Amino acid sequence: MAIAAAALPAAAAEHETLAIGIIQFPATLNPNTDAMAAKSYVLGLALRPFTVYDADWKLACLLCTELPSIENGLAVPTDFPDGKKGVNLTYTIRPDARWGDGVPVTTKDVTFTYQVGKDPKSGIENAELYRRLIGIDVRDDKTFTMHFDKLTFDYAAINDFVLLPEHVERDAFADPAQYRLRTHYNNDPTNPGLYNGPYLLKEVVSGSHILLEPNPHWAGPPPRFRQITVRAIENTAALEANLLSGTIEMIAGELGLPLDEALAFEKRHGDAFHVVYKPGLAYEHVDLNLDRPGLADRRVREALIRGIDRVAITKSLFAGRQPVADTFMNPLDAGYTDAVPHYGYDPARAQALLDEAGFHKAAGGIRRSDSGQELSFELMTTAGNRSRELVEQVLQSQWRQIDVEVKLKNEPARVLFGETLRHRRFDMAMYAWISSPENVPRSILYSSEIPSEANALAGQNIAGFKNPEMDRLIDALEIELDKDKRKELWAKAQKLYATELPSLPLYFRSDAFILPKWLTGVRPTGNQYPTTLWVTDWAPRQ
Amino acid sequence: MLLAVIAVAAFLGPILVHATLLGHPSDIDLLNRLAGPSPLHPLGTDELGRDVLLRLMQGGRISLVIGIAAAIAAAAIGTVVGLIAGYLGGWTDRLLMRGTDAVIALPLLPLLIVLAALDLDKLGVPASLARSNDISLIRIVTLAVLIGWTTAARLVRGAALVTRNRDFVRAARSLGAGVTHILWRHILPNVLGPLIVATTLSVGDVILLESVLSFLGLGVQPPLASWGSMLSNAQELIASAPWLAIYPGLMIFLTVVAFNLLGDALQTRLDPFTRLATV
Amino acid sequence: MIRFIATRLIEIAAVLAVMSFLIYVLIGLMPGDPIDLMRSADPHMTAADVARLKAVYGVDRPLLERYLAWAHATLSGDLGYSRLFGTPVVAALLPRLANSLALMGLSFLLAFVCALGLGIAAARRPNSSLDAAINLFCFASVSVPTFWLALILILVFAAELGWLPAGGMATAGAAEAGNRLRHLVLPVATLTIANLGGYTRYVRAAMRDALAQDHIRTARAKGAGEVRVVFHHALRTALVPVVTILALSFGGLVSGALVTETMFAYPGMGKLIFDAVMGNDYNLALAGLLLATATTMAANFAADLAYAWLDPRVSYR
Repeated sequence: MAIAAAALPAAAAEHETLAIGIIQFPATLNPNTDAMAAKSYVLGLALRPFTVYDADWKLACLLCTELPSIENGLAVPTDFPDGKKGVNLTYTIRPDARWGDGVPVTTKDVTFTYQVGKDPKSGIENAELYRRLIGIDVRDDKTFTMHFDKLTFDYAAINDFVLLPEHVERDAFADPAQYRLRTHYNNDPTNPGLYNGPYLLKEVVSGSHILLEPNPHWAGPPPRFRQITVRAIENTAALEANLLSGTIEMIAGELGLPLDEALAFEKRHGDAFHVVYKPGLAYEHVDLNLDRPGLADRRVREALIRGIDRVAITKSLFAGRQPVADTFMNPLDAGYTDAVPHYGYDPARAQALLDEAGFHKAAGGIRRSDSGQELSFELMTTAGNRSRELVEQVLQSQWRQIDVEVKLKNEPARVLFGETLRHRRFDMAMYAWISSPENVPRSILYSSEIPSEANALAGQNIAGFKNPEMDRLIDALEIELDKDKRKELWAKAQKLYATELPSLPLYFRSDAFILPKWLTGVRPTGNQYPTTLWVTDWAPRQ
Repeated sequence: MLLAVIAVAAFLGPILVHATLLGHPSDIDLLNRLAGPSPLHPLGTDELGRDVLLRLMQGGRISLVIGIAAAIAAAAIGTVVGLIAGYLGGWTDRLLMRGTDAVIALPLLPLLIVLAALDLDKLGVPASLARSNDISLIRIVTLAVLIGWTTAARLVRGAALVTRNRDFVRAARSLGAGVTHILWRHILPNVLGPLIVATTLSVGDVILLESVLSFLGLGVQPPLASWGSMLSNAQELIASAPWLAIYPGLMIFLTVVAFNLLGDALQTRLDPFTRLATV
Repeated sequence: MIRFIATRLIEIAAVLAVMSFLIYVLIGLMPGDPIDLMRSADPHMTAADVARLKAVYGVDRPLLERYLAWAHATLSGDLGYSRLFGTPVVAALLPRLANSLALMGLSFLLAFVCALGLGIAAARRPNSSLDAAINLFCFASVSVPTFWLALILILVFAAELGWLPAGGMATAGAAEAGNRLRHLVLPVATLTIANLGGYTRYVRAAMRDALAQDHIRTARAKGAGEVRVVFHHALRTALVPVVTILALSFGGLVSGALVTETMFAYPGMGKLIFDAVMGNDYNLALAGLLLATATTMAANFAADLAYAWLDPRVSYR
């Protein structure tokens, strides 16, 4: 009895700390510059944004007291002289919110953040937010009203508006052009005044780890760990070994093992760890350059998707954990519909479609048209991404079965995204879009978003998809406030997409969270907001 | 010793020919992934169900081609630079030698990224080549040559410095022989020994360099395989399918040993002084 | 002698200047500047935002103009800010440099000492079974890619046996020397083993040549003790070529070991320079690379001077 009694507190003490492994170290820590997944993961522990999408993909208020809505009167639509609609939104900062040094979070911080964001020299990236935000009125210490020039259905989301502490950062902003370099987040990252979340950064060893401890001025649910360490280990094989050796206790799904590795890990060590899979908003697909002869023909595109066995790919390579995608919209999303054309694996139908499109079997195993046009394409993806390299080799071999030749040409991510795709120098490109829930695909599917020299290469519609109906749907979607009407528009957009096939949907990527058996409360979100925002729910199993 | 080398080389040749008859190294069988040895797949299959033996042979061909091509090209460039520096001496020598110093410290990876991104069509490379699978090999060879020539250059320069003051070179010069003639007929043969040895040894280095590039995602691109890329891909599977690592690792080891032994053997043959000393 | 030193120093300065320009151009040639990369991450960026950010980051001006501004600032002692880390270059560089010197210096020393021992042992008994065993070890050492060696060491000593930490620089919050040393063991071992094979083969070859030379035979004939013959006469001659080779690898002490650092999550210069180059961080990449170049050249220079001491036949005028 005595031994058992003595052992209990010891067991509790054992889990007073938590060591997390991720694959990237955040180079900078300022929440409003250089967007980076590792940064939002770490800052999730230490900073509270006003609004985010939670694990149910619902908008949640973290730093504010209530989400403004037209119903509760905190959101007031406005009319502009040119006939467009804007909106005024009133938010109140939680009364108990304080920075880590005890200074209350007030509207002073709001005006300061707005000032930094609006300044063209400050190098802040969330340009879209500050372009739409035309002014802020301060009501009192805690309440303020924001004026936006456009009324969209997700008007209450100000996810990118992350407060900067005026009392700490003011001096760094003395010269706006230098703010990016002088900010205390980079030069003095353990200053408690920079954070308002449950944990504060205590030690930052660049390239190695960050140590966090509870924020004594945090008024929310109490943090359960005395210390949290976030370690960056870029090599995933080494990351696994670190987990096995106990140097880290869990691997974050947001920045962790690729799915195939996680599956192999679970097979061997599933009894010692809890592995949670969460399919999310990363939509893996193959973009087709619609200006290429052959690919311009819808029948060829349909033949291509019928020629690949996506079910078998996800089953054998990813143990069925990555749901096959029909369109860009995730089944978990509010606007999702199943009423779209589905393309199963059907090589015979694919062959027939190609014949119909005028591409006939020829010597050498490559189909060609009467004018001598061959069905031979280059498929590109990010070099060094093992999962994609495996999948593209399967695609290549399956397309060979329907006499379509595909050559693989991979480039490092920065070359692929920074240069090749923007100039649309590709036939087929496999990569992922990562978006927020109910994200309107304007930049991806709108006809004016095709990058060209004329628009200074802006936009991400690299397929070159031009469809007036899609343009109309996108315009309508953005400003449709009624949920049901929006759902109808979403359904039409998905149907159109699946019919036209500007890109070949593959599957939605799954994140694998590898957690110690004793840990509870980690709820993967599946969207771009990290689990760490809800770290106060994490606790050792009782 | 030499025999061992020839045996390894001869062993690879005929099997490579066989390979084309048995199947294709990039044939995928998703239902038969990571299988152990079987009569159909003597060394098992990899993560896409491809035959490891066939991949190993294809990888071997690519690793060896990269290694040998880069080693020879680097030796050729290094020899020219070294001969000029060593024979002419003075300012030319200094310029070239500081140049090699600089190259040794040059950052490799940006170079490779730049190489990967160059628009080859604009450079006048024929489209058939620029779009072929071999282009990633050519990039790696180019990179290996860019950094590899310095060793040969230093070696040849040193030897040329010594040889140029030997009596027979002076005699040739006084008889009115041209610079090219002297370099080609009198100096080159005298530096050939160490040069061949160094070149042989560098084949292994290039194969290893390729494996590191694969580790960084900049090596041979799929569906081609090299021993280095196979090894690098196998690291995530080290616990579930160790054979995927053991075979290419073993092949790299054997190749390095073989080339080293070849180098040693050549050294003994080509340098009568060493032979006397070792006997 | 003084003239020789002076010319060499001028040459080194000239090479550094040329190198800095070359590196600048090289990074500039890489496709996709930082703004292009941001843009691929943020679909809402407009052409105007791109122009504005390019101006803020200073990448809108021609490469040559930016280089000249950099050179001017650097010569007046201002290395500028690191774009990637948002801190002064020196603040980003110094801790990593210290880490790298600890890692590389330790493994270099260890590899050198072991190579001397193994090389001499092998050279003294050519073609013996000891020689063969050492040779085999050398082959193994030069044919194992570093990332594999590192992975195996981590799996065996950290994951299986649990003797040593698997990675990182120190336990979070702990800064005492013992803790840091424990974290250094595996990376140092990896680098040592990786370099040992090559070094040993150089020492062995040089020692064999040296032991066969006339003055050694003379010394032996004169009845000098074996220890004296090996360590005093032969080693001194053998060190000349060995020093040359080692001097060339000295720059690596500063530029670090990218692969080993990545595998062990050890924040050193290799990773820093890699990230800086990949992230178009001109200031940081240049400072790091030039430091490495300068060290390489200084080491070569030192090696040349060392010849004069090691081999009395060499003289500089």
